[in-house]
Amino acid sequence: MPESIIAQMAVSGALMGLVYALIAYGFQLTFATSKSLNFGQGELVMVSAFFSLTLLTLGLPYLLVVPAGLLFGAAVGMAVERTGVRLALEQRSEGWILLTIIIGLFLFSFAENIWGRDDRPFPTPIPSTPFHVFGVDVTPLEISVLVGVLAVMGMIELFKRQTLLGKAVEAVAADRDAAELMGISATRTVVLSYALSGGVAALAGILVSPITTVGPTMASALVLKAFSVAVVAGLESGFGVVVIGLFLGALESLASFYLGSGWREAPGLILLILALAVRPTGVFGKAVIRKV
Amino acid sequence: MKAFLAALLCALAVPALAADTVKIALTGPYSGGSAPMGTSTRDGSKLAIAEINAAGGIQIGDKKMKIEIIERDDEAKNERGALIAQELASMADLSGVIGSVNTGVVMAGDKHLQEKGITKIICPAAGSASMTQWAKPDGPTELSIFRFAAHDGIQAAMVVEEALRLGFKKVAIFYDSTNYGVSGRDDLLNQIKKQGDKLEVVASEKWNIGDKDMTAQLLKAKAAGAQAVLIWGIGPELAAIANGKAKVGYNVPLIGGWTLSMSNYIDNAGANGNGALMPQTFIEEKGISPKIDKFINDYHASYKVERIPSPVSAAQGYDAVLIFVEAIKQAQSTDSRKIKAALEDLKTPVKGVIATWTKPYTKWDRSNVETHEAFRRAQTVMGKVQDGRVTFSNPADRDRLKAQAAK
Amino acid sequence: MLKRLLLVRGSELVMFALLAIIPLFVQSGYALGLLTLLAIYGILLIGLDVTVGYLGQVNLAQAAFLGIGAYAAGIGVTRYGIGIFTAVLVAAAICTLLGALLALPALRLDGPQFALATLSFTALTTIVLNELEPLTMGAQGLSLSRPPLLGRTLTSRDFYWLCMGFLALVWMGMRNLLSSQWGRAFEALRDSPIATDAMGVGAYRHKVAGFALGSALGGVAGALYAFNFQYLQPHAFVYELTVILLLGVVLGGRKSLWGAFVGASLVALLPNLLSSKTLFQAFSAAGFAMALFAGVRGLSQKSLKPFQAISPIVATATLLVGSMVVKNTEDWRKAIFALMLFSVVVGLPEGLMGFATGFLARLFRVDPPPLPPPAPLDEVLPSRPADGEVLLEIRDLKRWFGGVKAVDGVTLRVRSGHIHGLIGPNGSGKSTVVNVVSGLYTPTEGTMLLRGEPLPIGSLFRAARAGVARTFQNLQLFTGMTALENVMVALRGVYRVPLPLVLLGFGRGEERRAQAEALALLAFVGLEGQARAPAKDLTYGAQRFLEMARALARRPEVLILDEPAAGLAHPDVVKQVEIIRRIRQRGITVVLIEHHMDVVTELCDVVTALDGGKMIAEGTPAEVKRHPKVIEAYLGSEAPGDADTHPLAPEPAGG
Repeated sequence: MPESIIAQMAVSGALMGLVYALIAYGFQLTFATSKSLNFGQGELVMVSAFFSLTLLTLGLPYLLVVPAGLLFGAAVGMAVERTGVRLALEQRSEGWILLTIIIGLFLFSFAENIWGRDDRPFPTPIPSTPFHVFGVDVTPLEISVLVGVLAVMGMIELFKRQTLLGKAVEAVAADRDAAELMGISATRTVVLSYALSGGVAALAGILVSPITTVGPTMASALVLKAFSVAVVAGLESGFGVVVIGLFLGALESLASFYLGSGWREAPGLILLILALAVRPTGVFGKAVIRKV
Repeated sequence: MKAFLAALLCALAVPALAADTVKIALTGPYSGGSAPMGTSTRDGSKLAIAEINAAGGIQIGDKKMKIEIIERDDEAKNERGALIAQELASMADLSGVIGSVNTGVVMAGDKHLQEKGITKIICPAAGSASMTQWAKPDGPTELSIFRFAAHDGIQAAMVVEEALRLGFKKVAIFYDSTNYGVSGRDDLLNQIKKQGDKLEVVASEKWNIGDKDMTAQLLKAKAAGAQAVLIWGIGPELAAIANGKAKVGYNVPLIGGWTLSMSNYIDNAGANGNGALMPQTFIEEKGISPKIDKFINDYHASYKVERIPSPVSAAQGYDAVLIFVEAIKQAQSTDSRKIKAALEDLKTPVKGVIATWTKPYTKWDRSNVETHEAFRRAQTVMGKVQDGRVTFSNPADRDRLKAQAAK
Repeated sequence: MLKRLLLVRGSELVMFALLAIIPLFVQSGYALGLLTLLAIYGILLIGLDVTVGYLGQVNLAQAAFLGIGAYAAGIGVTRYGIGIFTAVLVAAAICTLLGALLALPALRLDGPQFALATLSFTALTTIVLNELEPLTMGAQGLSLSRPPLLGRTLTSRDFYWLCMGFLALVWMGMRNLLSSQWGRAFEALRDSPIATDAMGVGAYRHKVAGFALGSALGGVAGALYAFNFQYLQPHAFVYELTVILLLGVVLGGRKSLWGAFVGASLVALLPNLLSSKTLFQAFSAAGFAMALFAGVRGLSQKSLKPFQAISPIVATATLLVGSMVVKNTEDWRKAIFALMLFSVVVGLPEGLMGFATGFLARLFRVDPPPLPPPAPLDEVLPSRPADGEVLLEIRDLKRWFGGVKAVDGVTLRVRSGHIHGLIGPNGSGKSTVVNVVSGLYTPTEGTMLLRGEPLPIGSLFRAARAGVARTFQNLQLFTGMTALENVMVALRGVYRVPLPLVLLGFGRGEERRAQAEALALLAFVGLEGQARAPAKDLTYGAQRFLEMARALARRPEVLILDEPAAGLAHPDVVKQVEIIRRIRQRGITVVLIEHHMDVVTELCDVVTALDGGKMIAEGTPAEVKRHPKVIEAYLGSEAPGDADTHPLAPEPAGG
C-alpha cells in the first residue's frame, strides 16, 4: 500500500482521536473532584447533539447553536450529578456507577422516542470538501474538531489556573477534606465539574455529528474509546488525554486498515485492559500508596 | 413473584379471547437501522387492511369478518424475533403473519411458525437464507412460509447487468457482515461468473452494522482502481459509504441491493447519495396508473409524510395483504393451514400496486425455492437516487409500466 | 428449627415443584419459551450475583460470558458433535478459564476501574465473535440444532425441565457454597480486601475464584441459551444486555438467590409485561403507592433523606403518568426499566427481595438456628511456651517513599512471650514498620526473620500465613457481617472440606466447629453476647475488641496491635489492657504500637522508641521514658531534658 494512504489513515484517525480525548477530558474533570464519572456520558453526548440538531432545524444559526448546545450539556451534566451522583458520594458508596448507567438508559430511551431511532444528518456551515495539505486530504470539518477541542480544553485549563472558582476546583481535586476545612464547598465544586464535563461532552457531540450523523447509538462506541483514553492516560492527568487520544485514534484507524474494519475498536479495548492490569493509574498518572 | 404470575396469566389468557375477526399479525423492526423498511411495510399493510375493513371485511360463509391486527416490533433482534414467533405460534386462532425484514430474525423465529403450521408471508426481507434454509434435501415437504420480495438472486443479476451495461471492467464489492450482506456478496460473485466473468473484482470489503467511518475500505478500493462499487447493506451504513466517498474524493457510482432506496440512505447521504442505482419493485412516482396514485396519496395522507420512507416495502406490504386476503376468501376459512393451501393455488388474479399477481405461489417443492417466491425478474426495474427521491433509472421502464397498467 | 426449615427450604421446594409441574398444565409454547428463558437467566444472574452481590463489584462482563458459553456450545455441537451435557461442561470450563484470566488484571482494580475492565471485555468479546468468521460465522449467525439427550429428541417441554433441573442444581450448589467459608470470604473481600489478606484468606485467589465461578455459571447459561434459541449472533451479547442483566440483579436484590431469580423473572418477562397496557398501569400504580408510602413514612420518621424519599415518588409518578399518556408502552421499555430501577436503587438499596425478606422475617419471626456451645479455649488458642528467645528479628529495615525516608534503618528484636512496645511521635515510622512486617509494604532494604526463617515480604496474605496477625489503626472490620462471622472468616485450620464436597453440602459439619471456635474467641474478648450483631452496629470499643478476636483466630505467633486504644473511653481502655494481658498469658508475642503511655508502661516488657524513621531508644518502659532523646522527640528541642518534671503526656487519640 502506498505510504500516502497510511499517512491519510493515521491523520484522519488521529483527528477523530481528539474527540475521544475531549470526552475523556470530561471524565477527568469529574473524577478529579469527586472520584466519580458518568457512565452514561455517551447518552449525554447524544442528547446534546440531538438538542442542537433540533435548534438547527428550527432555524437558529450555527454560531448560536453551539453555545446553546454547550449550556444544554452542562445542564444535563448537573442533573446527572444531582440525581445520580450526590447521594452516593454522601454515602461514600459506589452506587453512582449504577445510577449513572440507569440515567444513561433513561436518556437513551427518551431520545429514541422524542427524536426517533434513526440516524440523521447534522447540517453545518463548515464544508466537508477535502483540501490537500502535506500529502493528505483533510476536510474543514476535521479541522473544526481540532480547533474546537484544543480551544475548549485550553480555556478550561486557564479557568482552573487563573480564576478563584477554578482554583477551588483544583483544591478539591487535591484534597477534598482539606479544601472543605478551608471553607470551599466540595459539593458545589463537584456540581461545577459535572457542568463543565457535560458542556465538554456536548461540544464533542456537536463536533462529531456532522461527520458521523446523529442517532441514539451515535456515542456508544465513542464513549468506550473515551474510557480507554482516560484510563490509559490516567484519570487525573490533564493534557495526557490529548496525546493518548491522538495515538489511539491513529492506531485504530490503522488497525481497521490492516486487520479489517471490524477490529477497529480492539486496540483501544486491549490497551484499556492492559493499562488497568499494568498501570491502573495510567501512563501519565501518579502512583498511589495504600494506607490503612 | 406476583408480577411474574400476573404476566404469566396474561400471556396465557391472550389466545383464549375468540371473536368474529380474522387475526393477522404484522411483525418487523419498527426501530433501529432497518426501521424504515419495517414501518413502511407495516403501514402499507395497514392501508390495505383499512380499505378491506372499510368495505365491511372479508366474506366468509354468510358473515363478513373484519381483520384484527396484532402488531409486534422485533427490533431487528433475533431473540425478540424468536420470542415473538413463539408467542404468535401459540395463538390458537391466528390466521397468518406478514412481515420481517432481517434475515437473522427470520432464521431465529420462523421455525416456530412452521412447526405449528402458521402461514407467514415474509415481506420484505430479501436475504436468500430466509427461504433456502427450508430448501434442503431433508427440508420439510409442507411449508407454511412464503416470501413476497424481490429475492437477492434477481437483484444481484440486475446489479451485475447494470455494471456491464455501463461498461465497467473493474469493480469493488462492499457488503455488511450480516447474513444479508454476505449472501448478497455470494450472489454477486455467482452472477458475475454466470454473466461471463467480464467483471474483475479488485477489492472485497466488509463493514459491521453501526460503522460510521468507511475510509479504510474506500481507500483500498480507490487504490485498486475499482470503477464502481457493488454494494449490499442497509441504509445508515450505505450513507456512510456515500459520504466517505466524497471525503476521500472517490467518484464512482454505487450499484447495489434495493436498500439503496431507503430513506435513511437518501437523507443521510444528501447530495453525496445521488446516482446510486438499485433494483426496485415499486417507484414512488405518480402518473403511472390511478391505482398507484391512490396508493401514494393515501399513504401520504394517512401517515402525514411527503415521501414514503421505503416505497418498495410499503407497496409490498400492501400487495402482500391483498394476496393473503384473497387466499382467505378462497379458503373460506380463517384456519391458517387452509389459507396456506389456498395460497399455493390461488385461482383469482390479485390486482396490486406493483403488478397483477397471477398464481404467485405453487405447491412447495424443497428442491425449488421459487415455488414459494412471488417475484420474478419482470416485476423489477432499476431505480436511481436523484435529489432525495428514487426515480426510474431507465425511462423505458416507466413507459412499459404505464402500458401494462393501461391494459 | 423445624419452623425455619419449613419456611426457608419449604418455599424453595414449593417454587421448584410449581415450576416443574407448570408444563403439565400449560400447552402454550410461548409461555414455555418464556419460562425456559427464565430458568436460563436465573442461572446467569445467580452467577452475576457472585461478583455484584458478594464481591461488591460492578461487573459488566456477564453478557460476554453468556455469549462465550453459547458459542462454545454451538461450535462444539456443530463441529465436533458433542452432546448436551458435554457442551454445558465445555462452556463452563472455557468461561471459568477466561473468567480467571480476566480476573488477573482485576486483582488490582475495584470500583470504576473494574467496571471499565469488564465493559471492555464485553466489547472485545463481541468483536472477536463477529470477526472470527471461520469459527463463529460472524454476523451471519450460527445455526445449530439441539442434539438428542440419551438417544431421545428433546421436546420444548423436556428442554424446559432440563433447564429447570440445571437451575435447581445451581441453586443448591450456590446455597451450600455461599453459606460456607467461601461465601464469607467473598463478603469479607467486599468490605475490606486488606483485612481479608491480613487474615490469611487470600483476597486475590478468592476474587479470582469468585469471578471465575460467576463466569462459569454464565457459560452454563450460555450453553442452554444456545440450545434454546438454536441460532446465535454476536450482537445479542452486547453492552445493552449486560446492563440489563446487572440491573436485574440489583432490582431483584443482591446477595440472594431469590433476588437473582426475581431479577431474572423481570428481565425475561418485562417486555411481555409491557405489551398489556392495563397490567402495566396497575403495576406502576402499585409502585407509586409503595414509593409514596415508604417516602412519607421515611420522611416523617426522618429515617430517609429528602432526596431518597422524594425521588422514587417522582420516578414512579412519572411511570404512572407515562402509562396513561404514552400510546405504545413497548417503545419506552428502556425508560420504564430505568425509572423502576432508579426508584429501587435509591429507595430500596437492598432490592425487591431484600425488602421482602425483611418484611417476611417480621411477619413470620423465624429464629436463626441456635449456636453450638463455645469450644474449649485450650483447643482454639493453645498455650504456647514463652521461652524468651528472639522470635521476630528486624535488621536494618528501610522503607522510603520517593524522597521520604519513612523508615531509615531500624533494627528490632522481639522476644517470644513479650509485649514489645513501639512508641514515637506522629510520622516517626512506627506504623510503617508494622506495615512492612505485616506485608502491606515491601521493604526498600533490610531483613526480617521469624524464628530465624525469612518472613515473606510484600504480601499481607503470606505474612499472615507465616504466623503474623494484626489489627488496624483505622478499623478494617468486615462491616456487613456479624461479629461471629468476622471471627469465622479468619479461623485457621478448620476448613478442610474440598470445594466439590462443599457444593454438595458436606461443609456443614465443619461450619458447626467453626462457630464453636469463633464463639470461644468472642468470649475471650467479652463479646459472646453479641455474636449475631452486625459488626457495624457494635460500639466503637466492641469493634476494637472484635478486631483482636479476629486476629487471634489466626492463632498467630506474633500479634501486632496498631494503636488498639486509640479513641477508646477509659473503661474500655481498662478492659483492653486486661485482654492484652490474657493474650500474653496464652504465650502469644505482642507488638504494641500505642500513644497512651500509661498503657505502654503497664503492659510492655520492652519498649522501642522511634523518631524520624530511626530508633532513638530501647529498654524497659521506665528507661525509655527517661531517655533524653525521647523527651526531645516528644516535646521539641527547646524542652529541658529533665524527665522527672515532664512526664510524657499521652497524645490525642487517632494521631
